[in-house]
Parts: sequence; C-alpha cells; structure tokens
Amino acid sequence: MNNSVLVIGGGIAGIQASLDLANMGFKVYLVEKSPSIGGRMAQLDKTFPTNDCAMCILAPKMIEANSHPNIELLTYSEVEKVSGEAGKVKVKVKKKASFVDWSKCTGCSECAKVCPVELNSEFDENLGKRKAIYIPFPQAIPNKYTIDKRSYPPCRVACPAGVNAQGYVALISQGKFKEALEVIRRTMPFAGVCGRVCTHPCEQDCERGQFDEPVAIRNLKRFVADYELRVGREKAVPVERTKEGKVAIIGSGPAGLACAYDLIKEGYAVTVFEALPQAGGLLRYGIPEYRLPKEIVDNDVSYIQELGVEIKINTPVKDLGEIFNQGYKAIFLGAGCQESMKLDIPNEEAKGVVYALDFLKRANSGVKIDLGNQVAVIGGGSVAIDCARVALRLGSKRVHLVCLESRDLTSKDRMLAQDLEIKEAEEEGLIIHPSLGPKRILTENGKVASLETRVCTSVRDEQGKFAPRFAEGPVTTIEADTIIVATGQKPSTVVFKEIEKSPMQTIKVDPITLYTNIDGVFAGGDVVSGPADVIAAITAGKEAAISIDRYLRGINMKEGRPETLKRVKEVSKAGVRPKARHSMPTLELGKRKGFDEVDLGFDEKTAVEEAQRCLNCAVCSECRECEKVCEANAIDYEMQDEYVELNVGAIILASGLGLYDISPLTEYGYGKIKNVITAMEFERLTAASGPTMGELKRSSDGRIPENIAFIQCVGSRDFRNKIYCSSVCCMHATKEAMLAFEHHPGTKSTIFYMDMRAVGKRFQEYIARAKKEYNVTYIRGRPGRIEVNHENDNPIIWHEETTSGEIKSFETELVVLAQAMVPQITKDLAKILGIELDEDGFVKAPDKLLQPLDTTRQGIFACGYVHSPRDIPDSVTQASGAAGRAAEAIAGGK
Amino acid sequence: MNLEDIIKETKTYYCLECGKCTSLCPVSRYNSNFSPRFMLERALMGFGDELIHDRELFSCLACYACSNLCPSDVDYPVFTQKVRNLASGEGEHGDCAHSGILFSLMRLMSRSDIRQKRLDWLDGCHTSEKSEVLYFAGCAPYFEPVFEDIEVSPVNIARNSIKVLNALGIEPMVLPNERCCGHDLLWTGDVETFKKLAQFNAQMIKESGAKKIVFSCPEGYRTFKIDYPQYVELDCELMHITELLAQNLSSLSFRAKRSNPEVKRVTYHDPCRLGRHLGIYEPPREIIRAIPEIKLTEMEHSGDESICCGTSAWTNCSSYSKQIRVERLHEAKATGAEALVTACPKCQIHFKCAMVDKGTEKCTNIEMKVMDIVTLVADALGDKSSE
Repeated sequence: MNNSVLVIGGGIAGIQASLDLANMGFKVYLVEKSPSIGGRMAQLDKTFPTNDCAMCILAPKMIEANSHPNIELLTYSEVEKVSGEAGKVKVKVKKKASFVDWSKCTGCSECAKVCPVELNSEFDENLGKRKAIYIPFPQAIPNKYTIDKRSYPPCRVACPAGVNAQGYVALISQGKFKEALEVIRRTMPFAGVCGRVCTHPCEQDCERGQFDEPVAIRNLKRFVADYELRVGREKAVPVERTKEGKVAIIGSGPAGLACAYDLIKEGYAVTVFEALPQAGGLLRYGIPEYRLPKEIVDNDVSYIQELGVEIKINTPVKDLGEIFNQGYKAIFLGAGCQESMKLDIPNEEAKGVVYALDFLKRANSGVKIDLGNQVAVIGGGSVAIDCARVALRLGSKRVHLVCLESRDLTSKDRMLAQDLEIKEAEEEGLIIHPSLGPKRILTENGKVASLETRVCTSVRDEQGKFAPRFAEGPVTTIEADTIIVATGQKPSTVVFKEIEKSPMQTIKVDPITLYTNIDGVFAGGDVVSGPADVIAAITAGKEAAISIDRYLRGINMKEGRPETLKRVKEVSKAGVRPKARHSMPTLELGKRKGFDEVDLGFDEKTAVEEAQRCLNCAVCSECRECEKVCEANAIDYEMQDEYVELNVGAIILASGLGLYDISPLTEYGYGKIKNVITAMEFERLTAASGPTMGELKRSSDGRIPENIAFIQCVGSRDFRNKIYCSSVCCMHATKEAMLAFEHHPGTKSTIFYMDMRAVGKRFQEYIARAKKEYNVTYIRGRPGRIEVNHENDNPIIWHEETTSGEIKSFETELVVLAQAMVPQITKDLAKILGIELDEDGFVKAPDKLLQPLDTTRQGIFACGYVHSPRDIPDSVTQASGAAGRAAEAIAGGK
Repeated sequence: MNLEDIIKETKTYYCLECGKCTSLCPVSRYNSNFSPRFMLERALMGFGDELIHDRELFSCLACYACSNLCPSDVDYPVFTQKVRNLASGEGEHGDCAHSGILFSLMRLMSRSDIRQKRLDWLDGCHTSEKSEVLYFAGCAPYFEPVFEDIEVSPVNIARNSIKVLNALGIEPMVLPNERCCGHDLLWTGDVETFKKLAQFNAQMIKESGAKKIVFSCPEGYRTFKIDYPQYVELDCELMHITELLAQNLSSLSFRAKRSNPEVKRVTYHDPCRLGRHLGIYEPPREIIRAIPEIKLTEMEHSGDESICCGTSAWTNCSSYSKQIRVERLHEAKATGAEALVTACPKCQIHFKCAMVDKGTEKCTNIEMKVMDIVTLVADALGDKSSE
C-alpha cells in the first residue's frame, strides 16, 4: 500500500483535495497541464453569492498548495500512463518542456518584455495578448515563465538551409533590425545575397499564403542586410580556433563560403582557394549587378573573412594531393559549373556566337562589349534572362530570347526563370519567342547574321526528363548580330581526374554526407548537382561542413541525417484581418539604362508593416532575445519533455470544466455580431487584471453599455447541444448583472431565462436583491434570433415573453451568452485512467447515491465539474469528500 | 390518431415552453396572435378543443424554422399537420386562396375515371415512352392559367427541366395521367383524399417501370420521400433535379453567351421543403457557381436560416404572409443581385405576387427578377433547337 496520492487538475477542487490530504499527512502529487495552478476560478472576477473577489480567495490557497511540504506541484505536466491496481498505482507523468529552467527562473518578466511574438491570451479568453514566453496571469503559481514553442514554422522547414525566417521576421516587426540580421547569420552568411537572389521556397510554403498572400520574406531579409550597410557594420570578431585540423575549400562561390563559414564557427582553421582575382564565384561573376550589386557580395564576403576565413585569390588548385601535402586534413570542392553547354548546330563556331558564362563574366568585370544592334539569347532559365537584360543595358536595340519552353507559366513546360524576372525583362523590352528550338545559325562572311528556329511541341517527357520534341512547320528566322548561348553549364572537364564523375562531368558523392570517392574530399554545389540556385549551393556547403566536422573528429558521418524539422500542425488564423503583401518598389523603367539595381528595397515602415503580417506559426520564433536578457541564465532551447514515474496509492481526478463551442448556435450570432460576448469574456472585462483593466467596454465602439441583456441556456438544456443544465449560469448571470451595476450604477440588465435555478443557500435572496437593488429584470423566454441595428451596432433580441405570450423585439447594447460548460476530460485521459464516462462526458459513478465520488475504477475518485455540473462551494465540498475517500482507500483496513 | 398520439409522435411532451419557436417563427413576427409555443401548451394542458377550433391553427407555414432549432426537438410542423386532420374532421379549415380552384383541381384528380390532357406543353422536349427515369411534372400544367396574370409560367420550369435532362442525355418518361402529389391536402388536413392520390400515383409509377423519379418541385419531392412511405409502397430512387445536376456538372457544357446576359449576380432562396425539410442546401449552389459569369451572393438569412416565402398550401394567405415576402425580397435586393433564384414554383409565385399586388401595407415598391434554377441552367446551356 502506497501512502501518496496523485491529484489531476490544479483548479480549486484539485487544490482543496491536495491540501486536505497533505494536512492528513499524505504525500500529494498535484499534476496540472497548464503552466499555473488556479484553474477556471482564477479567471473569474467575483464569485456568487458573496460577490467576493475570486483571486483574493483563491490566491492564498494556491500559495498554501505551493508551499506545503507534503505537496509536490507538477505543472505543465500531463498523465501519460496509469498501471497497477488500487493501493499500488504506477503513474507516468510527462513534464512538458517549458524551455525555461524553473530552478533558475525568478519570474522577473524581462524575457517577456523583449519577446517579439504576441498572441491571444487564453487566460483572457482571447480578449488580451500574451507573449510567446509567458506566465498565464500575474498571480500564477509557480511564478515561472514558459516558452510556447510548437515544432517548426513552415518557412523554416521549407528553407533547404534551415534559415529561421520566423525568427528574423518577428524581430523586424519590433524594429529590431540588427538582431534580425544576427538570426540570419546564425545559419548562413549571405543575408544581402539571398535577400536579393534567393528563389525563396519559404514564401511558397508561408502559411499566410493560405489566408491572403505570403509574407515577403526575401525582401525583409534584404532589408536588414541593407540596414546594416546603411548604419555601418562593426567589424566581426574573429572566431577562436578550438579544433584540430585545417580545412581547404576550393572555390569561393556560395557553396564553398557557406561551408567555410560553418567550419570557422565550429572552430576550425579554414582556407579558401579561388582561381579568379576576387571571391564570390558566380555571385560576383555570374549574376549581373542590376540584380546583385558588388558591394553586397563584398559585404557578405568580408564578414566571412573577418571571422577568420583566409581566402587565397588567383590561386587555382590543380592537384588535390598538393593541398593535403600543405597540411590540410579535409577538402571541400565547391568549384561550380564553369563551362557553358554547346548547341551542336551548324555554324556554332561563327564569329558573334558567345556563351553565357563568358559573356556575364566579362560584363561583370567591366569589360566593354559591343554586341551590335540585334541580339538573340538562347535559353529559358535565369541565366538566359540575365544575359538578355545585360544585353539591353549594353545598348543593343532589339534583344530576342528563344527558348524551348512555354511562356505560359502554369504549363508543365514553363520557362525555368522566375516569374518576376521574366516580367521585368519584358518590361525592359525583351522579346520572348517561346516554344522554339535553334535549328542553325546563318552567317554572312563568317559572321552571325541570323538564327533559324523550329517549333518545339514538348520539352519534357512523362517522367519529367528533358526530351524536347519538334514539329515540322514554319521556320522562324531571327536576325542577330550576336547570339548568346545560355542553355546550361557543366563543371570544368579538366581538373581532378582522380575524382569519380558522371557522364555530365558532375562529381559523384554520397547524397547524405557529400563524401567523394577520395578520402578526405567532399564536394557540393553546382559541381555536384549541375546548375542550381544559390540556396541549394549554400545548403550543400552547410551539409559538407557537418560531414567534415564529423570526419575530422572521427564520428559516424551518417547518423541522424538528414535532419528533418517537424512542421507545426495547426496555425490559428482567428482574428487575423486581411492585409495585402507589400510589393517591392522598383527602379523606373526609363532609368534602367546602366547597371543600377532594379529592386529598390523596403523602407523601415514598410518592412515593419510587412513583418507584422507574419502569423508566427510556431509561436516561439527562436530569435533568442530572451536568452540575451535573462540574467538567471534560465532559458534552455534544447530542453526536452521529461518523464517521471510516480508510485501512488490513489488518484483524484479534478480536471474541471471546459467551455462548449457555441459557434454552431448561429442564431445568437456569437463571433459574427460584434456586441455579443460570452459570460467568461464578461468576467475578464470586469476583472481589474483583465485586458481592459476592469472597464466593461463593448468591442464595436469602446462604449460602456448602459443596457445589457443576458441569454441563458446557450447550448445547455438543448437536445441539439448539451442536454443537461450547466447549473451555475442563472447565478453567474445574476452576479454579472450586479457587477455591471457596481461598475456603472444605473446599468439596466435583463436576463432571459428558462427556469430560475437558484437552489443554493441564500441564492433566492441573492436574486431578490438583484431585482431590488441592481436594476435587474428577469424575462422568461428563450430568444430565437438576434438581429443588429446597423446604425449603432446594438443587438436586437427576438423573444416571446412566455408569461404573457407577447412576441417582442428588444434592443440592447450588449448581449452576454451563458455558454454551456462541459467536463474537461478527453477520451484519451479517461482511457489512460481506465474509467468510464457517462453519455454527457462526465465521470461515471458506480453508485450515484451511495458512492457518488467513486469512479468505475477502484482507487480513482473524482470531484468538481468533471464529476457533474456544480458551483465552487459544491466543488470544494466534493474535493474534501474525495480526499476523505482517497485517504480511506490508502490508510483504511491496513 | 388522437391528440395524445400526436403529442407522443411529435415528442411534444418534451416541450419546455421556452418560446424559442415563437421567436423564430416568421408568422409570429408579424401576427402576434400566432404562437407555436401556445399551440403546444394547449395540447399539453388538455385544451385540445380550443386548439382544434383556433383560427390560427392554419397559419403555420410548416417552414421548419422552429423545429430546426427547437431545444427539445419537438416536430411542430408534423404536430400541426396531424392536428389539422383532427380539426378537419370537426369541419374546420383554413382560409383558402384563389377561390379554391386549386383545391378543386386536386380533388378532381383523386377521381379514378378522370382523363387529363396534361402533356400539351411538351413541344421541344425529348421524352420517351419507356425509360428508367420518370420526370414528375406535378401541378405545373394546372398552375399555368391561374398565374398567367403575374407572369409565372410553371410549365416553362417543367419544359426547362426536361431540356436540362436532355442535355445530360436523359430522355425521361412523363406520365399522361399523373395525379397531384397531395401535398397541400395532407397539410390542410384532408388525409383521405391525399391517400387516394398517393395510391393512384404509386400504382401508375409501378406500372411504368420507372426506377428513378426526378422532381423539379420540392413539395412533390418531400411528399414522395417523407409522406408516401407511410401510406403506399414505392420502390424508386427519388431525386430533386438540382441533386442530379450537381452530380453531373462535368457533363454539362455551358455556352459563353447566355440568353439572360443582364443577370450577372444572383442570390439563392432556399425553398423550405428542399432546405430544412430535406437538407438540400449545397447542390443548387454548386450549380449556380458552375455557370460561367454568374456570381452567387448570399442573403442575410440563407441555408438553414433561410426565411420562408410566406404561404403554404394556398392557405391563410394574408397581410402577414405578404409582409414575410416583402421582408425576404428586401433581403434579396440588399445583396445587389439582379435576380432571385429559387428551386420551387410556389416560391416564385409568392414572390411575384408580392411585387404585383402592392396592397395597402407599407410595402415599398420592390422590383426584382425571380427565376427558377432550371431556367437559369437552361438559359446557360442554350436552346439547341434555336441554334
């Protein structure tokens, strides 16, 4: 026989049962699923029939429970498993991760002040706000903070590199731009670059897009990068070298630098070898300046250098063995794709045929190029569009783009370039010839004269493989002085013969570890994948960094990879108002002559407003601002749920009441008509600690109503909803009517009731007092329809006064609905406990008359609202009864 | 069946006399003498006689607004239907509209030797002598001359229904000697005549070999589906034409140009029999949404909260029922729609009547196009014969 008791539910009934047992000398474990004990009573302003302050009565009890030597509080915990039998019960309790070490937290609230994520407060019935790090209410016990963290936001899950978009967006919404940039740099160094050229898979998955339009995440990222350039950046502090082993990176494109960045932060010495005169790879030599200015690349690159990464420019690497001979322990190959694909059509060698990468490299290096008046670009991807727009900027009069793909962006054969860049290029004058393939080049005196094309009917086969099909048909000939071939790139064929490659010249690697066939050599980015986007290259660099770290430390490289982030399941959109996404301001068409950047960037106001559109899907954004201000060092993002095993002799279930969802009762207009609220919302409005500081204001105009109507039995005593009487509504409506009068003397209240159930001690007198002293009128009749006076937003209640038979409409300023209450116990918990529930979901007693507090399982007792509908005094009485039964069960007979 | 049986059958004994029914009732809103709660109360208190002889017994529209939300789940419309039968036995009846001509026709149709000429309207429609599908035309041919003056053509609805069925590749049977379904007789207390009509119809349909009956009138549909099984045997699948259309939307090809191009925005009025009686809310809406260039806007009260067209069974049509219709028309007008679309010929008759007969009540002049959903569909499909 075990001498301790488990009490489930930290409301007034659970507290009372715990205190009774503790005072008898038994050990009590009080398990509460929310972060604080107090339950529903804590939400109430006053209690009937004495109209005492609920918190004033409850708080001392809460404190007593907290400080009692025989009571162990397990808040933010849930019962997971119950086994054994009466007298010897084993209970497994899950202590949910609060991400705050409660042994250190002092409840100082500094964390909540800096938290950028705000959401509706459950305690205030969604009328007020709370932060992602919070205590439910000021008097909470324990007075410890909890972080509401729900898996990962879709943006972060969608980002191949795992950049914490919700984190930096949340900080931008609070004007914390510097901090936002820190969040980005926690994952990767390319805020300025990715803020401009990323293909933003985060936005495709943005939950806001399900509501109206996705948040402009990429533009926000760019904003914080630009902000740093504008206000000036402090030099980054070099990372201390803590790990053995030097790493060589070949190629300073996004893959190589991302890898270098992660490794330097891990504490390795890193050297990057770059063949060209400047670092950045295709970021510098491939993407034109009107899209990605050099100073942006410079800033991101110098940040990496300042951390301690050494970049050796003009240093092509020919032999990997030589690198190892220099003492490097691992090599990452991020050499990219250097060679343009050939067309293999007649006259390709003619003068005037140039290849995209050479062309862009020369243009980006500032070499003067004369293309002639007419240019034809071949290709439908981003590189082709870049070439075409550069050609326009170099002064060519007519620039044509010929591609196999369809211009219809919804087609499966669509152009691969992004929607926006296609649109902008066309605005600038590009003439697109879709669904055409190059047939041959016609020349005059060995120089390009025109391009002959044929009709392409389909680009990809059923499997999505590139397999263009052409039709016999009209030949379109496009006159051109220069033809730019932008039909793809591949890695350079000459280097590193010892490395295993595919027929397309790309390097073969293990898909998870990016390990090549040569010991100590890893590869990633375009050199492995063929031409892809920047974020894919960064991701490869990051993955390689993980592998290299493990390789150098001699740990299994594959274990636990690839790491997949769990996407948050449900995102509440309650109360969200539609707001359009801010579009990016662009350079006027007439001014797009030189290489000035086309996108102009958000200003501060736009950025903040756009960031405020974020739905904060995962609630906590992991921006880590709280961590910075917590002097007690209590924040612990890595905290895991913990399981404890308890051995008890008996269990008391006191899980309390829930509020019935009354939205299906559309006749009362709740959620649709502004000045219709629930009784629990009313409590929060009159409570001094509530969202309005105790001002009973109505939502439509903030006015204090002089005329209030209460409608009873909303969902209760109703075959279609809850058939039982919720038992406390007649009294709480009367109490609330009195409170309204006390707040504003003269307030007139009308209570529409079915039967006045005033069955407690002195309850009848209470009602008589309401009528006599508090201007309360009671009308018997259940209203069936609420309409609205659109002039003043007053609800109009249609009802029949059943005592007189009169059919009336009644205009009032505020309607308070007596929302039905339900036992708060899930079927799962009932199953865990092994107890039966009755048809209404209340706990079933084996004998209603003589064993009312027992359940169908021996050793488990129940009290409070989960047992049956009842008020506070009855719940407390039952709690003491249940404590007695539990004590008898564990102490009696032995 | 005596009053006690009725109370049991309709669960009237559960009534808590809360008055929610009365506060929801479209009639009580204007006619303060009519209270469903009070009707039930008298039955429960043993004042059956008083109840049976109350003039207001015939005021109920059987719209089901009350029972739809009754906390005690009392079936007030059926209570009314059954008590009216008792009242009818005592010589009571409601105030009959249209000089009783419609009731005379119903009773005439209950005679076995009657020979009707009810298929003259079929020109332009493809029907067949033998088909698994039967189209039940209902009283449309008889309504035609009665409501000519208010420009309602129920025959047009019937014709369009067949055209729409044709468009789906169905050439239905139409019975030459079909009888009235008996709905109005049943709901005004004449169960005897109702039974005769039901038997005639059941017999004829059995002989026709039909497997499926399609209705364009919700009253006929409700009567066949809910009431007939209590009196006759009929082993057929029953469907409202909107259900059939909604299931086969993909096989309909709408023309780009409709014959009613001025109608761009419509609002849909749920007939009580189709909506609250049978729970069919979505199919008509799916159909409307599928028609090119037509936008559906909802009235303040729609779906199960829809307001009745104001009269039922040609009985107790009064100034109150007029007010109900005007209220509904105002709701329709407020949506900004060019047309009010419904799926019941009687709703159409009642709305058009309210616009033609201005009356003396303070009804503002209201003009609104009212049309049946099959007409809207037929217009969008286009008339093949005219192409």
